[in-house]
Amino acid sequence: MSTPELVTVTIDGRQVQVPKGMGLVEAAAAAGIEIPVFCYEPRLGPAVGACRMCLVEIEGMPKLQTGCSTPVADGMVVHTAQSSEQAARGQSATMEFLLLNHPLDCPVCDKGGECALQDLSFRYGQGKTRMTFHKRSLEKPVPISPTIALDRERCILCYRCTRFSQEVAEDEELTAVNRGALSMISTFENEPYRGPFSGNVTELCPVGALTSTQYRFKARPWEYEQAASVCGLCPVGCNVTVQSREGKVQRVLSRNHPEVDRGWLCDKGRFSYPHLYSEERIVTPRRRGARALEELDWEQALEELAGMVERASGGVVLALSGSETLELAYALAKIVRQGAGSDRVVLPEQTSDALDPFRVPIAALAEAEEIVVFEDCPVLDRAPLLELWLKQARRNGAQVTRIGPSGDIQRAHGEAALACRELAEKGNALGKRLRAAERVILLWSGGGSAGGTHLAALALTLGLNEKKGSGALLLPASPNARGVAEAWAAAGDEDRQPKQIGLLIVSGDEAASDPQVRQLAEHARATVALTLFAGDSGEWADLVLPATSYLEREGTMRNLEGRLQRLRGATGSPVRSELSWLVELAVRLGVALPGSEAALFAELSAQALDGISLSALGERAPLLPHGEARTFEIPEAEEPPILLGGPLELIRYRALFSGPEVEHVPELAFQRPATEIEISPEDADRRGIADGSDVVVRSNGTRVTLRARINAALLPGMVRAAATHTSELARGVEVSRP
Amino acid sequence: MAKTASPVLVLAGAEAGDLRALEDYRRAGGYASLEQARKLGSERVIAEIKESGIRGRGGAGFPMGQKASFIPAPEKTAKPIYLVVNADESEPGAFKDREIIERVPHRLIEGMQIAALAIQAEACFIYIRGEYLTGSEIFAAALAEAEAAGLVGIPITVHRGAGAYICGEETALLESLEGKRGQPRSKPPFPALVGLYDSPTLINNVETIATVPKIIELGGAAYAKIGVAGSTGTRLFSLSGNVVRGGNYELPHGTTFRELIEDCGGGISEGRKLKAIIPGGSSTPILGADQIDTPMDYASMEKAGSFIGSASVIVIDDRACMVQLALRLTQFYMNESCGKCTPCREGTRWLEMILRKIEEGRASRAELDLLLDVCDRILGNCLCPLGDSNAMIVASYVRHFRAEFEAHVEKGGCPVAATSSLTGVRSPVDELYRGRVGQEAAL
Repeated sequence: MSTPELVTVTIDGRQVQVPKGMGLVEAAAAAGIEIPVFCYEPRLGPAVGACRMCLVEIEGMPKLQTGCSTPVADGMVVHTAQSSEQAARGQSATMEFLLLNHPLDCPVCDKGGECALQDLSFRYGQGKTRMTFHKRSLEKPVPISPTIALDRERCILCYRCTRFSQEVAEDEELTAVNRGALSMISTFENEPYRGPFSGNVTELCPVGALTSTQYRFKARPWEYEQAASVCGLCPVGCNVTVQSREGKVQRVLSRNHPEVDRGWLCDKGRFSYPHLYSEERIVTPRRRGARALEELDWEQALEELAGMVERASGGVVLALSGSETLELAYALAKIVRQGAGSDRVVLPEQTSDALDPFRVPIAALAEAEEIVVFEDCPVLDRAPLLELWLKQARRNGAQVTRIGPSGDIQRAHGEAALACRELAEKGNALGKRLRAAERVILLWSGGGSAGGTHLAALALTLGLNEKKGSGALLLPASPNARGVAEAWAAAGDEDRQPKQIGLLIVSGDEAASDPQVRQLAEHARATVALTLFAGDSGEWADLVLPATSYLEREGTMRNLEGRLQRLRGATGSPVRSELSWLVELAVRLGVALPGSEAALFAELSAQALDGISLSALGERAPLLPHGEARTFEIPEAEEPPILLGGPLELIRYRALFSGPEVEHVPELAFQRPATEIEISPEDADRRGIADGSDVVVRSNGTRVTLRARINAALLPGMVRAAATHTSELARGVEVSRP
Repeated sequence: MAKTASPVLVLAGAEAGDLRALEDYRRAGGYASLEQARKLGSERVIAEIKESGIRGRGGAGFPMGQKASFIPAPEKTAKPIYLVVNADESEPGAFKDREIIERVPHRLIEGMQIAALAIQAEACFIYIRGEYLTGSEIFAAALAEAEAAGLVGIPITVHRGAGAYICGEETALLESLEGKRGQPRSKPPFPALVGLYDSPTLINNVETIATVPKIIELGGAAYAKIGVAGSTGTRLFSLSGNVVRGGNYELPHGTTFRELIEDCGGGISEGRKLKAIIPGGSSTPILGADQIDTPMDYASMEKAGSFIGSASVIVIDDRACMVQLALRLTQFYMNESCGKCTPCREGTRWLEMILRKIEEGRASRAELDLLLDVCDRILGNCLCPLGDSNAMIVASYVRHFRAEFEAHVEKGGCPVAATSSLTGVRSPVDELYRGRVGQEAAL
C-alpha cells in the first residue's frame, strides 16, 4: 500500500493535514473539532446527508454543505458552527426541526443517558420550543419483531436502520413507508424483522425509536458495570460489552473490533443472554438418586467426584466441548492427565496447525479480489458475521464463488476436499483466476476438513502465504475447538489410553449432546457432566455439576482466525465458577493447579503459546504472527458415504438459532429453524412433492414430518434440514408425500 | 400572437396538426439533424450545443453543453454512459413537456439520439410522469415506429413514474429509475460522474432535448441569436390561471409577461384585475401586478426577485386570497416532501400548520413573524430544492402581500373568504394526511 496523498485543510482556523478524500467530519475530528451528526455512520455506505446536523460553511461555496458527505480538498477553508454564524444558524434550525415532533419523553425512554439527540440537544438546542401545535402522535410501541420494539414518535428518520437492512445485511426487510412528515420506518408488509442481524439497528438508532424488548425499562446506562468480553457462541468471537446491573446481565452490545466484527453482532450473540436466568438452568450440584436427580451441596459433590476419580483408577475419559475456554480445558486436562493418570480425551473436532501460515484477519475479506467458499455447511450457520463480510466483499467488487451442494459450483456434500484438489490442478479455470489474482481468500465451512490440511495444501499451491491480503480460514463447528485441543496437549505428554471407562467427565452442553459422547456414557461405570442445563446430561449422568456460561467466564479463546481473545466475565453469576472448585479437587488429587485464570493462562502460555502475556492480547486482540508454510501429507479425501436407510443424502446442519443458549430464550423462538427440508426440484418432481407441502422423511424405521421447500440451487440427490428436527434420522433418507 | 413573428422551433411543423406519425415528422424535415449529427461526431455536436448557449429547461437552467462536457469519455470510465430524459413534469403550472411528448414525440426521440451520440451513451431512458399515460403511449408508439425504421441506434427505455413530485428532482429520479424509494441523493457527486447505477449520466428535461435537433439544424451560433444574451432560444411558456386563453406558447426568451398574458393569452378572464403572477411554476417566488413588464429571461427574472424556473406562468386575479394560495401551495410541498432531510420534512408541515392558523384567524402577529423565521430556517439547509422552494415562495407571498396576512390576524379570519376563488380549495390528500397524523385535526 502506498502512502496516501496528504492535503491541508483549515477548519475553524486550525490547519490540519489529512489524507486526500477523507470526509470533513473525520478531518475535523483530526483537528480536534466536533462536527455533530445523526444520520452519518460510515459503516452504512456513502453518506446520505439526510439529517442536516453537520452543516458547515466552506469558503467559495454559496450554500452550507453537509460535512458528512463532503470530502476534503487541498486548501479547503471550512467554518463549522463554532466559527460560522451561518453554519450555527443552520445547525440550530436542524436541531429545532428534529425536536419539533419528538416526544421528549426522556424520563421513560430507554435511550436516555446514551441518546445522541439528548446529548446534542443539550449542546446545540435552544432549550425551549416554539412549537405550539400538537406533536405528531402515532401508535407505539410497534413490535417489529419479538426482540425489537419501534417507537415511531421518537424516530428522527435518519435512515440508519433502513440503510443497515438494505446496504449491510442486505435483507431488505426494513424500509420507509409514506413520504414527507408521514414517513415512517416499517418492515415490509408488516412482517416481523427476521434477519439474523436485526439487533444491530437497536445500536445504530441514535434515539429511542428502536429498542430491544429484552432490555426495555430494565436499567439506565449509568448504572452499569461493564465487561469488555468476546462472544463465545461461535468461532468468530465478536467483541462485546456485557453490561450488568445488580449482578445480572442486562444486555450485550457490540464492541467494534475492526478486524473481526466491525461493530456488528448477530442476533444470537446479542439476544441470547437471558439463558443465564432460565428456570431450567442448573445452579446446584445434582446426583442421580433412586428416582431422579437430587440436589446436594458442593462439599458433598466434590467428595463424590473425588471418589469417582479414585474408583476409576486410571480409567478416566474427558469429553471436552469446543466452547470451553483454554483455561478451563487446561485445568480439566491437568486434573485428568496429572491427577487421574489417563490421557484419553474426546475433542470436539480434528484440528491442526496446517493453516497457521495462511492466517489473515477476517476484515481482509472486504479487500479481497477472489473468495472461494467450500460450503458444505452454510457460512451463516457456522460463523454468521462472516456472511456480512462476504456481502461487504461482494459490494467492494470481489468475486465470491461458493462450492457446495447449493453453491455457484455444485458439488455433492462431502466433496469439498476433492474440489480443493481440482482447484490446485493446472488448467482448472477458477484455479487460474485464483493464481492471477493478488488477494485471494479461501474459506472452508463444513466437516471433513482434516484440521484444515486440504485447504492448506491448496493455499500453498496457490502461493497464498506470499500474497499480502490473501489467506485461508477454516470455520470450525465450535467456538474454541483449536484452543481446547491446544490446552489438552499442553497438560501432559504421556499417552495412557485406558480401555475400561471407570469415569466419563463431560464438560459442556455441546459435548453432552454429542452422540459419540452419549455412547461412551453407556459404557462408562460413572459419568459426571458439567452443563448449563440438565437437558441431555440429566438423562444419563450420575453427577451433574452446574457450569458457568461464556458470559460469566474469565479466560481466553482462539477464534477461527487463530486470534487469542479474552473473555471477561460479567459480575455476578448464580453459579460458582468452575475454577474455584477445580482447585479444591486438584488439591485432593495432588495436582498443582494455579488458583486464577490469569495464572493458568501464564502456565499454559509458557508451555504452548510462546509465552505470550495476557496484556499483549489487550481489549482488542491482535492477530499474532504465525509459523512458516510447510508441506505435509495430505490426507485422503473421505470416501462417499454408503447411504443406509434411503436414497437421498440428508445434510444435517446446526442452524444458527439452535443450541442450549438460544433454546432457553423465548424471544428467539421465532428465529429457530423452520420445520422444513430443502429438496431439489428434480427430486421433488419425481416424488410429486409441491413446495410448502408436508412430507414424510424416513430412514431405518424412523419417520419425521417436515415441510418441503424446493431449492432450485440444491444438487439432486441431497436434501438438507436443520439438525434440530432430524437428530433421529440416518444419513440416507427417503422423502415422500404423507 | 406575439407582436413580432417569433421562430417556432420545438413545436415547429406542428402548428396545423400533431406530428405523431413518422411520415409526417419526416415530411417536416425530421431526423435530418440526426443524420447531420452522425456526420459531425460527438465532439462537434457538443461544441454546437455549447455554442447555442441552451440552458436546461427543467427549472435549474444549467447550461446543457457544459453538463454534457462533464461526462467522461468512454475510454476514461469503466462504466457505461447513460442519457436520462426527465419527463416527470409535475411542477404545478407546467404542462409544456406533455405537449412536446404528445405532439412532436419524434423530435424528442431525435434529440435523445443526438444527445446520446454526443456523450457516447450506451443506452437512453425516459422517465415519464405516471399520470401522463396518454403521453407515454404516444411516445411508445412513436418509438416503435422509429425503431422499426432503424432510427434508434442507441436503445431507449420508457419508464413510467408512480406519482411523486420529488421524482422530478434529477437524483430522486435516478433512485426511482433504479427501483428504489424516490429520494434525492446528496450532491456531489453529480450525476455526470456518478448517476444511474453509479455510472456517468446526462439528465436533461424533455424540452431541452427536443430543442437539440433544431440546434443542429440551425447551428449553435444561429440558435444563440434567438432570445437575449444569457437566455438564448425559444421557450415553451405554459400559461394558466385566471387568463382567457391558457396554453403553451413558444416565444423567445426576453418576451415580457404583458406580451404573454395580454397578447397571447387574451388578458385576465372575466375582465378582472391582475393581482399577482407566479412566474416560473409554483416553486418560484411570486411577482406583483406591477411587475408585468418584466422580460422573461434568466437575468431579468432574478432582478425581479424570482426565477424563470420551468417557464410556467400562473395568472392570479384580484379575487384570490394570498394566504389561501400560500396555504394551498404549502400543502402541496408538505405532501410531496420525500421525508429524507429534516428541514423540509418537518419545516413544510410546520409552515402548513401556521398558515392554516393564520387563514382561520387563530394566529397572532408573533406567529406571522414565526412563519417568516421558519422559512428562513428551512431555506438553504435542505438536501434538494423542494423545501427551499416552499420557504422561498411563502416568504415572497408575505413580502408582497403582508397587509393581507396581517388583516387575517387582526380580523380573526379570512377577510375575503366569501369571495376568494380559492376558498375551500384543499389538497386532495389533505384529509387523508390529517386523519393519519392524528390529533391536530381536532384543533
